[in-house]
Amino acid sequence: MRLQIATFLSCLSILAFVGCDRMPGKPKEATPVVIGSTAWTQSTFNTNCRGCHSQGAEGAAIPLIDAGYWKVATDAQVIQVIAQGQGVLMPSYLDSNGGPMSSDQIAEFVKGMRTLWGAGVSGGQGGISGTVVAGNASAGSQVFASACASCHAAGGSAGSVTDPMYLKLISNQGLWSAIVYGRAALGSPAWNQPMPQHPNGLTPTEVADVVSWIAQSRPMSSANAQVKSIPKDKNASDSK
Amino acid sequence: MNREALIQIVKQPVQWIEDRTGVIAFSTPLLSHHVPRSAKWWYVFGSATLMFFTIQIVTGVCLGTMYAPSASNAWESLRYIDEEIPLGWMLRALHGWSSSAMVVMMAIHMLQVFMHGSFKFPRELNWITGVFLLLTVLALAFTGQVMRWDQDAYWGLGIGAAIVDRVPVFGDQMRALMLGGPIIGGETLNRFFALHVFILPGAAIGLVGVHMTLIMKNGISEMPKPGEIVVPSTYRKGFEERMEKSGVPFFPDAAQRDMVFCGVCLILLVFLAAYYGPFGPGGMPDPTLINTNPRPDYPFMWIFGAVSLLPPASETAIMLISPVVGIAILVAVPFLSNSGERAPSRRPGMMLLAVFVVMAIVALTWEGVTSPWSPVMDGWSALPTPTQFVKGRTPLQMQGAVVFQYAQCRNCHELGGFGGKRGPALDEIATRMSPDQIVRQVQQGGGNMPAFGKNLNSAQMTAIVGFLSTLRPANEADSTIPGAQLPLPIKSPLVLESPFTGTGVPAEISAGVSSR
Ligand code: HEC
Ligand code: HEC
Ligand code: HEC
Repeated sequence: MRLQIATFLSCLSILAFVGCDRMPGKPKEATPVVIGSTAWTQSTFNTNCRGCHSQGAEGAAIPLIDAGYWKVATDAQVIQVIAQGQGVLMPSYLDSNGGPMSSDQIAEFVKGMRTLWGAGVSGGQGGISGTVVAGNASAGSQVFASACASCHAAGGSAGSVTDPMYLKLISNQGLWSAIVYGRAALGSPAWNQPMPQHPNGLTPTEVADVVSWIAQSRPMSSANAQVKSIPKDKNASDSK
Repeated sequence: MNREALIQIVKQPVQWIEDRTGVIAFSTPLLSHHVPRSAKWWYVFGSATLMFFTIQIVTGVCLGTMYAPSASNAWESLRYIDEEIPLGWMLRALHGWSSSAMVVMMAIHMLQVFMHGSFKFPRELNWITGVFLLLTVLALAFTGQVMRWDQDAYWGLGIGAAIVDRVPVFGDQMRALMLGGPIIGGETLNRFFALHVFILPGAAIGLVGVHMTLIMKNGISEMPKPGEIVVPSTYRKGFEERMEKSGVPFFPDAAQRDMVFCGVCLILLVFLAAYYGPFGPGGMPDPTLINTNPRPDYPFMWIFGAVSLLPPASETAIMLISPVVGIAILVAVPFLSNSGERAPSRRPGMMLLAVFVVMAIVALTWEGVTSPWSPVMDGWSALPTPTQFVKGRTPLQMQGAVVFQYAQCRNCHELGGFGGKRGPALDEIATRMSPDQIVRQVQQGGGNMPAFGKNLNSAQMTAIVGFLSTLRPANEADSTIPGAQLPLPIKSPLVLESPFTGTGVPAEISAGVSSR
């Protein structure tokens, strides 16, 4: 009798022990986020980029949730920017530069963003290059007077674009993009589109010229310098 | 084989061992020593603490065989234990829950000893070794949290380093000693691993030994009765006589209760572990996953809460001085009053104090659970500048808004309701501060804000101040504020270093708690 009870109890405890591995406390297997999935692209963008590049009138740098951007910019160009940074305020995200992403991840990420916001266009369209080209500064001064001065002349409603302090913070590529894409939500026109006095917008040459002219006011060539290499021991938010 | 022979077979080796070691002669009095008859259920907490400590050692040793104490593999090895090792997760859950249970049980034990005045003559040293045990166990809990090497661990280390950093003169050296370098990195984990598995457990075992020896030497105190006063000159004699006369042997009388209580605790522990599972590892070190809000483990939540409530001006002083004062007071308790009444009813002031301390810790824990203290680590790259602060700005002010993100101001400051809550929201900063004052705040820091002086060049500073000077309530909005053109007394126009490090990028978990 006792023996039976003992056997029964030990069987029960063995069973309980085995069943133990199915208790509610067992951690769920981490669901790996599939690199390249929509959810991954979205969350990568939301944590890493959205603070600066958002949509419409939100965010201080050029919006990326914007079909107009993806129509002109090519994947290669965007990959290059994400990997290496741009100007002084766009960080470099490539791991070998101290950033968080591998080059494969960046490529997947750009593909994902195009799928989400590119409206099925592969880039390189819109009649103008997405990357800055060299121009003629003195011709640019004419362009500025006819197309830009109404808003950007000294005391103009949109503020100065030749302020040296401003130019120290933005690259020529940044100027190029600001002119090509504009920001409709902020009243800044896109110059690859028709404008009242410029029914065909500006030609690529005109944009290049005006960029060269504006860039002349930059005190040093510093803003065109590539992003600094990234030391790993500086972190503002964690200091005292 | 007959019974006699069987007993002989067992007896012989036992006798052989006893002859060589005297282990039975040593342990018999341990088990049979007399304890007060009145020692009822109040006295089980110490034993339960010891049981949890034993569980910690056993499960800890098992975990030690599988854990990889290197910065690059620690997190993975925990996942491996959770997912691949049969019941490995249970081992981790037991270790984690038992650690919290031990801290709680220890606190209850201490509270009981305090309320019953058991620390009075001749048990002063019992109390003091107990205080050091408490500190050792808290240190074990803290270093244990670091073993997870996840974002919570990072939090704990960051705060620890920040506190150490505030020490005058030796701050830098002490931080280097704690982290194994200027920043949280692989060396940090190795250092904490050595503490967690060698140094602290060794210290704890030693202290437990001393604590137990003292208990044997001084006996267990009786239940306090109003009017039964402790007089050091006569206490020992009276106590020994009473034990002779009315005491009961520890085994089995008192031990029974201990065992029942420990049994119940054990069942509860297994239940908690099975139902709630192991702690962490939280926030995987993968940059593409959204961050959790890092929090310390429960035993430290009240410290976290207290820190969040401190007025910035006195933070340093309070953070550095209060632990020292607190420990000094705890150690001094038996010297402040080691004789006289023990009964709670005759020591109302002490009872009020105990109630106050318990309530304070509970309240601060609650504050810690709910407070938004810690900076939003990926605020700078995840939270867009709200539309109302972008519209109508000049290009320079817009760049200022970008610098505001790039310099990670957003991690500590809210705009439009989103952002860190470490510093004040800056939505209406232009109504509170002049551009000059903002420059000074950003350059020199102040309160808990880091000084950015050397890290922002003149263009960045001009832009950011230009942007902040436009932040005012909508009805006061002024869309044509000229970009602030300030003569800035900046000597070294260094370029701000990249915001990557630690932050939203836990792969760089090794990144730093920087100096200014
Ligand atoms: C209808 C008025 C208007 C005209 C015309 C105009 N802009 Fe702008 N521009 C704006 C406004 C408004 C902004 C502010 C929004 C902003 O900063 O993005 C702006 C912003 C800019 C910026 C800064 C973008 C940034 O984010 O840093 C540049 C550069 C710029 N304009 C260049 C030009 C050039 C070059 C021309 C002429 C080809 C031009 N703009 C014509 C209204 C105009
Ligand atoms: C701290 C703010 C900030 C963050 C975060 C940020 N960027 Fe940028 N980005 C900028 C700025 C500013 C520029 C323009 C720099 C210049 O030209 O001077 C820029 C430029 C770019 C450009 C080039 C636009 C053009 O001119 O064609 C791309 C593409 C871009 N960023 C993508 C990203 C992606 C993808 C992420 C996230 C992985 C990201 N950025 C994160 C600030 C940021
Ligand atoms: C580590 C967190 C942290 C970061 C990063 C940070 N601040 Fe602060 N900031 C604070 C704290 C805390 C205070 C309150 C200081 C005090 O009470 O003296 C503060 C105060 C301020 C104030 C004064 C606010 C007021 O109402 O008195 C301004 C302005 C300010 N910060 C701007 C900035 C700017 C600009 C940046 C980025 C360059 C920045 N902060 C980055 C934590 C931070």
